[in-house]
Amino acid sequence: MASASAVWQRPWVRWAAVLVVLVVLFVAPLGLSEFTNQTLARIGVFAVAVLGLNVVMGYTGQVSLGQIFFLGFGAYVTAYGVTNDWNIVLTFALACLAPAVVGLLVALAAARLGGLAIAMVTIALPIVGVPLAKRLSDFTGGSEGTSTAFAKAPEWSGLFDDQWQLYLVLVIGGIVYLLTHNVVRGKYGRAFAIVKGNENVASSMGISPYRYKVLAFTIASLIGGVSGFLYMVVIQYTSPETMSFGHSINLVAAMVIGGSASIVGSILGGLYYVLVPQLTNAVDPSLTALLQGAILLVVLFVLPGGLVSLPRALTRGRRRSRAARGPAAPPTTPSSTTGSGTAAEQPETERQGHA
Amino acid sequence: MGKFVQLVVDGLSTGSIYGAIALAIVLVNQATGLINFAQGGMAVLAAYVAWWLTTHDVPLVLAILISILFSFVLGAVVERWLMRRFERGDPDTAVVVTIGLLTLITGICGWLWTYNNQQFPSLFPLGTVSVLGVSISIRSIGTTLVIIVAMLLLQGLFVGTKLGLALRAVAINPQSAAFSGLPVGRLLMVGWGLAAALGAVAGALVAPQLTLTPGMLDNALVYALAAVILGGLTSPIGVVVAAWIIGVLENLAAVYVDFIGFDLKVAVPFILIFVVLIVRPQGLFGRKVVVRV
Repeated sequence: MASASAVWQRPWVRWAAVLVVLVVLFVAPLGLSEFTNQTLARIGVFAVAVLGLNVVMGYTGQVSLGQIFFLGFGAYVTAYGVTNDWNIVLTFALACLAPAVVGLLVALAAARLGGLAIAMVTIALPIVGVPLAKRLSDFTGGSEGTSTAFAKAPEWSGLFDDQWQLYLVLVIGGIVYLLTHNVVRGKYGRAFAIVKGNENVASSMGISPYRYKVLAFTIASLIGGVSGFLYMVVIQYTSPETMSFGHSINLVAAMVIGGSASIVGSILGGLYYVLVPQLTNAVDPSLTALLQGAILLVVLFVLPGGLVSLPRALTRGRRRSRAARGPAAPPTTPSSTTGSGTAAEQPETERQGHA
Repeated sequence: MGKFVQLVVDGLSTGSIYGAIALAIVLVNQATGLINFAQGGMAVLAAYVAWWLTTHDVPLVLAILISILFSFVLGAVVERWLMRRFERGDPDTAVVVTIGLLTLITGICGWLWTYNNQQFPSLFPLGTVSVLGVSISIRSIGTTLVIIVAMLLLQGLFVGTKLGLALRAVAINPQSAAFSGLPVGRLLMVGWGLAAALGAVAGALVAPQLTLTPGMLDNALVYALAAVILGGLTSPIGVVVAAWIIGVLENLAAVYVDFIGFDLKVAVPFILIFVVLIVRPQGLFGRKVVVRV
């Protein structure tokens, strides 16, 4: 195990791995079935939404129960732009910016209270959003919702629609992941981590918790808007039901189960959000909510770091059992003293970088 | 004019329901520093228990009393076996635990009793009384009175009894409370139990009006949280007054403001919050907290 992680530390190994993943991602859609491609694209959409939630909740420590509202908002803006034949780039930009502006306004008020008030205020977003979407039926199509199939594969590409849509999700989602990765590893990410750790310490260091909380929430809303655009690309239909309270809660659950403050955890969260309801529905649809709640609580109890921390927890468990078996295996292997051990020994803040 | 008074009275009655849940939230928060998002869910479960008993020919009042007792035990059990592990840790994690609990309880209700609406029998007769030319439903009056009585009992408990004194001591400083020999763990369980019991009262009162569904109190939870923000987390009377203000204002706005109407009245408390936040960030009745680094 230690030698495997030592190999993993070499930069060229990492780059090669990234390259392999990229090639697989871009070749695979050509060979997969339509259903698989669509499921993958859905996972991508919600992985982006979960990533946005992670920026505000995982990295900055502000519980937001309203992320789904920004997804729904972005989806509605996209649908409206497409049905009115706006330029698609302009539509995309608006689908990102409009939710960001609303997120900014919400955060400006909510972050003033501090503590858990953001959670208490953001719970209102889906709850107000649903009737609002029904009311503004000129824009939203009311309860019936709106559908637009604008992301058809162009002639020159020779692709099927599902492949084209998956590629769109991969490219746009990939860019969002890359940008977010840079933000949370850079100076903003450090400020977020300090605000999350202790607001009083942050302000004594000259980092305004208020400003960074508002910033994180705005970024999260912007990413939510992107996921809304992708939602229209893939699902092609939105209604007030899209941003219901239950969906919002499931998004929070998906983020926590995938792994808070982790890029890979956000992808796992997207997987959870799409696949687990499909599985539980196959078992018994009336059990879905019960199982989701139970899974969330079990994960919080057993794996507080989410699924992304599973390998680390297993390594730790194995090492502990090895140490218990006999003194032959020293508790600290040479590789971990040189700083290339598993993340278990590393400070919390470095976890972001390895994820 | 008659319509106006009627709207105010009805608003007070729905506001009382929000107030009861908000009081439960404040009770838990005062004892543990947490916000329990499952408060509404637990109240729904209690209402289901009461409803299930009535379908087995238990008289309504007895059924509600049993459900209150059940809730007390449920609250204590949840504190002891679920929340205690997260109480002194990261408050965000604890909040997510209560969200998981909300999903779980909603799921249990839906699984056991389906997601269909169930008719919950009303504690009060359906008629109306005429006061000064305004007809007011007996249910509105009854609901408001029950909540006021519950609020006074709670206030009496906190001010006039040893148990209340101990609860407050634990709330203010659990460590000193433990040093003075108070059973902190058991008191926290009692605090959660009382909060859940209070929620059960609210559930039984609101169920006939909304008809019983697993998500029945989701909106009420939102109003209750709004009342908690407006009233300030430290003031039980503040949150009840805020809940009444919200109940009355949303009723008036639904009728007199065209755009809001019945379906958008849930937005009213949040417009109110935005206004208040700009003027008084610590809430209407809250005190400003000074932090030392």
